[in-house]
Amino acid sequence: MAQVEKKAGLLRRTSSKKPLKEKVVLMYDEIFAKDNPTKTNPHFWDELFLMKVNLEYLEAKLESLDGEEVMKIQDNINSLFHHCVQALGEEHQIKVVNALQTLCALFRGVHQKNKSASGFDIINMLMGFDKAEHRMKDLMESLNTLLCGESSDSLKSLCLKLLLCLVTVTDNISQNTILEYVMINSIFEAILQILSDVSSRRQHGYDAVVLLALLVNYRKYESVNPYIVKLSILDDEPTLDGMGMVVHQALTEYNRQYKDKEEENQGGFFSTLTSMVGSMFIADTDEKLSVQTNEAILLALYEAVHLNRNFITVLAQSHPEINMATTPAIAAPTTPTTPLGTTPPSLDMMNSTELPLDPNLQTSNLLITFLKYSSIVMQDTKDEHRLNSARLCLIILTCIAEDQYADAILHDDNMNFRVNLHRMPMRHRKKAADKNMPSRPLVCAVLDLMVEFIVTHMMKDFPMDLYLRCVQIIHKLICYQKRSRIRLHYTWRELWSALINLLKFLLSNETVLLAKHNIFHLALLVINLFNMFITYGDTFLPTPSSYDELYYEIVRMHQVFDNLHCMVLRVSTNTGQWKEPASKVTHALVNIRAIINHFNPKIESYAAVNHISQLSEDQVLEVVRSNYDTLTLKLQDGLDQFERYSEQPKEAAFFKELVRSISLNVRKNVSLNTLSQDILLKEFSSIS
Amino acid sequence: MGDTELELSPAQLEEDLQKSPSVSSTSTTSSFSLPSSPSSGLHHSDSPSTGDTLLTNSPTLDIITEGVSELSLVIDPEVARKACQEVLQKVKKQKGDPENPDASSDLVNGTAHTELGDGGGTKPPKIREEEEEPLPGSVKSAQRRQKNNSSKQSWLLRLFESKLFDISMAISYLYNSKEPGVQAYIGNRLFSFRHDDVDFYLPQLLNMYIHMDEDVGDAIKPYVVHRCRQSISFSLQCAWLLGAYSSDMHISTQRHSRGTKLRKLILSDELKPASHRARRELPPPTSHGLSDHGLSPSKRTHQRSKSDATVSISLSSNLKRTASNPKVENSQDEPVRLTPQREFIKSLMGIGKRLATLPTKEQKTLRLISELSLLNHKLPARVWLPTAAFDHHVVRVPHTQAVVLNSKDKAPYLIYVEVLECDNFETSSVPVRIPETRIRSTRSVENLPDCGVTAEQRTGSFYAVSNYDNDDEAWSVDDIGELQVELPEIHTNSCDNISQFSVDSITSQESKEPIYIAAGDIRRRLSEQLAHTPTTFRKDPEDPSAVALKEPWQEKVHRIREGSPYGHLPNWRLLSVIVKCGDDLRQELLAFQVLKQLQTIWEQERVPLWIKPYKILVISSDSGMIEPVVNAVSIHQVKKQSQLSLLDYFLQEHGSYNTEAFLTAQRNFVQSCAGYCLICYLLQVKDRHNGNILLDSEGHIIHIDFGFILSSSPRNLGFETSAFKLTSEFVDVMGGLDGDMFNYYKMLMLQGLIAARKHMDKVVQIVEIMQQGSQLPCFHGSSTIRNLKERFHMSLTEEQLQVLVEQMVDGSMRSITTKLYDGFQYLTNGIM
Repeated sequence: MAQVEKKAGLLRRTSSKKPLKEKVVLMYDEIFAKDNPTKTNPHFWDELFLMKVNLEYLEAKLESLDGEEVMKIQDNINSLFHHCVQALGEEHQIKVVNALQTLCALFRGVHQKNKSASGFDIINMLMGFDKAEHRMKDLMESLNTLLCGESSDSLKSLCLKLLLCLVTVTDNISQNTILEYVMINSIFEAILQILSDVSSRRQHGYDAVVLLALLVNYRKYESVNPYIVKLSILDDEPTLDGMGMVVHQALTEYNRQYKDKEEENQGGFFSTLTSMVGSMFIADTDEKLSVQTNEAILLALYEAVHLNRNFITVLAQSHPEINMATTPAIAAPTTPTTPLGTTPPSLDMMNSTELPLDPNLQTSNLLITFLKYSSIVMQDTKDEHRLNSARLCLIILTCIAEDQYADAILHDDNMNFRVNLHRMPMRHRKKAADKNMPSRPLVCAVLDLMVEFIVTHMMKDFPMDLYLRCVQIIHKLICYQKRSRIRLHYTWRELWSALINLLKFLLSNETVLLAKHNIFHLALLVINLFNMFITYGDTFLPTPSSYDELYYEIVRMHQVFDNLHCMVLRVSTNTGQWKEPASKVTHALVNIRAIINHFNPKIESYAAVNHISQLSEDQVLEVVRSNYDTLTLKLQDGLDQFERYSEQPKEAAFFKELVRSISLNVRKNVSLNTLSQDILLKEFSSIS
Repeated sequence: MGDTELELSPAQLEEDLQKSPSVSSTSTTSSFSLPSSPSSGLHHSDSPSTGDTLLTNSPTLDIITEGVSELSLVIDPEVARKACQEVLQKVKKQKGDPENPDASSDLVNGTAHTELGDGGGTKPPKIREEEEEPLPGSVKSAQRRQKNNSSKQSWLLRLFESKLFDISMAISYLYNSKEPGVQAYIGNRLFSFRHDDVDFYLPQLLNMYIHMDEDVGDAIKPYVVHRCRQSISFSLQCAWLLGAYSSDMHISTQRHSRGTKLRKLILSDELKPASHRARRELPPPTSHGLSDHGLSPSKRTHQRSKSDATVSISLSSNLKRTASNPKVENSQDEPVRLTPQREFIKSLMGIGKRLATLPTKEQKTLRLISELSLLNHKLPARVWLPTAAFDHHVVRVPHTQAVVLNSKDKAPYLIYVEVLECDNFETSSVPVRIPETRIRSTRSVENLPDCGVTAEQRTGSFYAVSNYDNDDEAWSVDDIGELQVELPEIHTNSCDNISQFSVDSITSQESKEPIYIAAGDIRRRLSEQLAHTPTTFRKDPEDPSAVALKEPWQEKVHRIREGSPYGHLPNWRLLSVIVKCGDDLRQELLAFQVLKQLQTIWEQERVPLWIKPYKILVISSDSGMIEPVVNAVSIHQVKKQSQLSLLDYFLQEHGSYNTEAFLTAQRNFVQSCAGYCLICYLLQVKDRHNGNILLDSEGHIIHIDFGFILSSSPRNLGFETSAFKLTSEFVDVMGGLDGDMFNYYKMLMLQGLIAARKHMDKVVQIVEIMQQGSQLPCFHGSSTIRNLKERFHMSLTEEQLQVLVEQMVDGSMRSITTKLYDGFQYLTNGIM
């Protein structure tokens, strides 16, 4: 209690010069007294909601209560909650705003105090068991009306904040028992409506998408979550587009910030060394912050891609590159507000076909933006957050690579784009001249990204999980190409040499890596990629000479394969936990070894006959070409089979942790935002 | 309902034909459509001579008759009447559509006439003039005609009654005759021609309407208004043409306002069959042309009018019922009859304008794709491609297939459009939107009936072979069921020509024995498959259209169908169209008409010349659409991509010299070459560089871009002085100067020229009428028509003509200017 007093006192001193307590604080005190406040003042509740809310005080007061005290004033708290919900239906907007904020404080204060308490106790404390269902129904209905109705933007925004606040009060979202009521009284439709309308999407889209992503993760694996069900069958195009737009904008904004920072740093490089170091340091921390804020959006993207088949089309929906600063350009309310579910008449829609006319705008789509974003995030995976983001990016890419329709888009020869992926500056390679890169089907960018990742992450702290995902994504894409007979004009050589280098790295760090990881699994995947090329190359390689090049590359780097063979042979002959996986690799190596053993003598004899010490590439290729016919390969089973992605049980732990960290983050940000609603209050007071 | 009245004597029908102009004097708009229905003659049996005598034998008329005298002289009146009845019956059959209330409405018109004839006087029309769109001219002219009434037969009339009197003659008389009576008669006679026939001359009709004197205009207007009421597409077509052909005039001129007025009237959408305008207390859903006879609605006790009304009502209620989705009802609503289509065209043009601002082809292509994907959100709608030959609704634009065409400063582009064929785009309900992602469930269904017979199908069916069984998340249960049905068939037909691995990888799982394969086989299959795939063009960011145009049309259709959510529907069709923005297509339209006319003539005269007129849609004086020639790429693209001579390219594409395929292609080449050489000569087509000559997959050449014809040539540099373009490369393909094919070529030219000469009037007429009031460069100077006529060499004997052809061929081949021009094009535009 003393602490509360002190806080209030502090507040008094800082916020107002009045010697006395604010009236609202006095009224709060009355609530926390044991008596019914209406006894003394029958209009108590009416008056309360006309007062400006003092969130700190209310929250602190709630926090300070201990169990017994709570029991005593539970009636009053229940009554406060009840009146808050009632006030939401008021016409007077000030009352609505205050009620929303009070509810925020209630939820938060009660949870803060009772971190360990079971969800039921909290519900009892807030609403009372018997009335809880009724109260929450009213609350959700009011919020629904406010969100879907014609209320002002700031009010809607506050509603979303309250919901975000409610969803994130516990660290583990699944332990938030109150959400059970949010499951029963769905606000899914309200979220959809916000996303489908252009103007409301611009205002509240971000919050709505984050809220949806969080709600989907409530007791995801234990029970039937109606939000999951509804999201997975959603097929309303404007809404899905809206969701895509929100994600697109958030990612674009991040990419833009990163680019600005990068340019800043480059400027610094030329000015002074010290400032460069300094700015890099600052930039680094800033970046990490922005990555964190984007995890929620990434999660939303993942859920949409993973759950909703129709969302895939949105990925390739072209937009001109959106610049956050110039959003008003597309802001013109072109789409008329229509009730949910009714398609706007074709006529109206015909009028809104025009895109902003600016030749400098680069056409982009969500997929491109996401790839760029991934390339930035994957550059540095040292800290936990970025590692998680990179993992999530790869998971999303896995889902995309598994989807037939998405694959069709990725491989569409008519949809060529120039995707500027970010590449880590490294000493031994010069900054690629991206400008002259031709525009290619999107799958090339995905493959580039994977190659880039493989090349840049061979480090002691080996991100095995990411590597596995990466190689699997490549495998899935190649399987699609084989099945659909798509001959992609891609420089496969880069991929081959990246994979061979990866094997080389695994070999040279065998002991260190084996302590932590099953390197044989990764090696097997890599070798099987080669086997795909060797046995099914005829179905998807672009030219006969690319098949020759594959052999050339294998023969050229035969030492790596030889060493690998030695290693797996050694491990598989010993007994131990790696015996089984190592012997699998041995079997997989059959064809590669056959190739090496077949061509090496031929090349040597060619060199001997022609008295050449060092054969040129063309000469080797010539030897390869003329000696195919005597080479027999073994057909391996199931090369084009892969395990489909499934979230449960493998990834469940990851997502649990991810959602927890997102919850913390959102809670932090929401609290900041809610408190800065003063402006908004002023706005209302001046209106009414 | 009019069947019984058919028994009327043909003579009465005839009279009715001629009567109708005078009818228009009493009831302004009722005159149209009269001749189209036999029933309309019913009420005129008692006025036998009025029509016959309408057309006085003025000297001018007789002179005109001479041009076609060999036809009219031999016509027996009885025969003519019979013929005319035939025509009428035919017309009736065509209009036999039960939903079309033509017949009944016409009958009602008839009723009105009798009433008027009894005691109508001249008062009522005046009332109407105030009430609705007046047709003052028709009133006047009809009055004039009535003065001239006399019961003399004239040759001209006989001609008009004969079955040989076709639309071409009608147009010619309409243009040449100075006699209002004749003009008015022909104006009415227009109703008896097939719509398609008249539509061909629509540019001429409208140009006459805009630029010639009042009488002609008044004669044409009823017909145009009538057709506008009937059809949305005709309305828009008229509006666009009126706008385009009025654009050359001074804004201030009075005549200008006539064309513009009609255009405004059409666009105001007041000309609709079911009018809600409360101008009469007629039942609202009455059909076109009903409005006119209502001057005394109370008198209208004719029971037909009732049945008419009920028919229309049931029709409209029918519409309501089918209009299950809100879009349909919306576009069915009165105010937006024309709007969806206009907006559609407008957005296509808007895209073209915006593309023009982008600097590179690549940017243009990307932008085009994204713009079209936005457009897709608005489809399906009650919109259609006017260049198509059948009724349909546009359902989707496969945006990724669109390409920007080669052009220096403009941005013409080619789009493919998925449509669903329907009976009538005005009344059929608009298809319901199917989201893009529905493809996956529909694709498998679509594959079933014709599973994997064609090569392209392979890709489709192979989707299913591996991994689909793990795919239960993404495939619904029925999908899997269908796929499994598909599987055995795939196995059987996939074995023959593709690598068997995909199959092997499944079967080998069962057999435990290791399977060995030869590396050489894999390599061989790879090169074989690449060799077998038809030669495709490399992707070139500077020439994005080459690849798209090279792909055989059928394959493209199949591929797009596979990828379309609407592809499984049986009435799915793929169309394509070139959208041109910033180009005047009026000359192209003129060229199209001439080509079409010559094609018909050659067909009629059995000359095996081959030309390919492609449809042109003029939307304004600086925009329009072109129907692309499918399966064709420009010779420039051929040469640039293949780096071969034309002959070698033929050998590569069709096979060696003596193969059937090569010979066929060569014959096609010769026939088309001869055809286009004649066209080029007659029309003086210039700017003939290789970018403007297409080569189709069968070996035909097709000339495109008629921007410089008749009196205009590019920049007047004096290049291209030869009669037509005939390079030695072309001659090589024909088998050299001494070959039989080359002689055949010359022979074809001669035959073609003789045939064209025989029907010169039909060709010249098209051009001549369009010259009226036109500022087009092709009419520059005063001698355009004279020169055109001279090129038909009417005075030469056939022997002389043969010499002429020889001379032209020789001259063209030796022409240094052709080579110079190609060199010039290569230097300035990079066209090979």
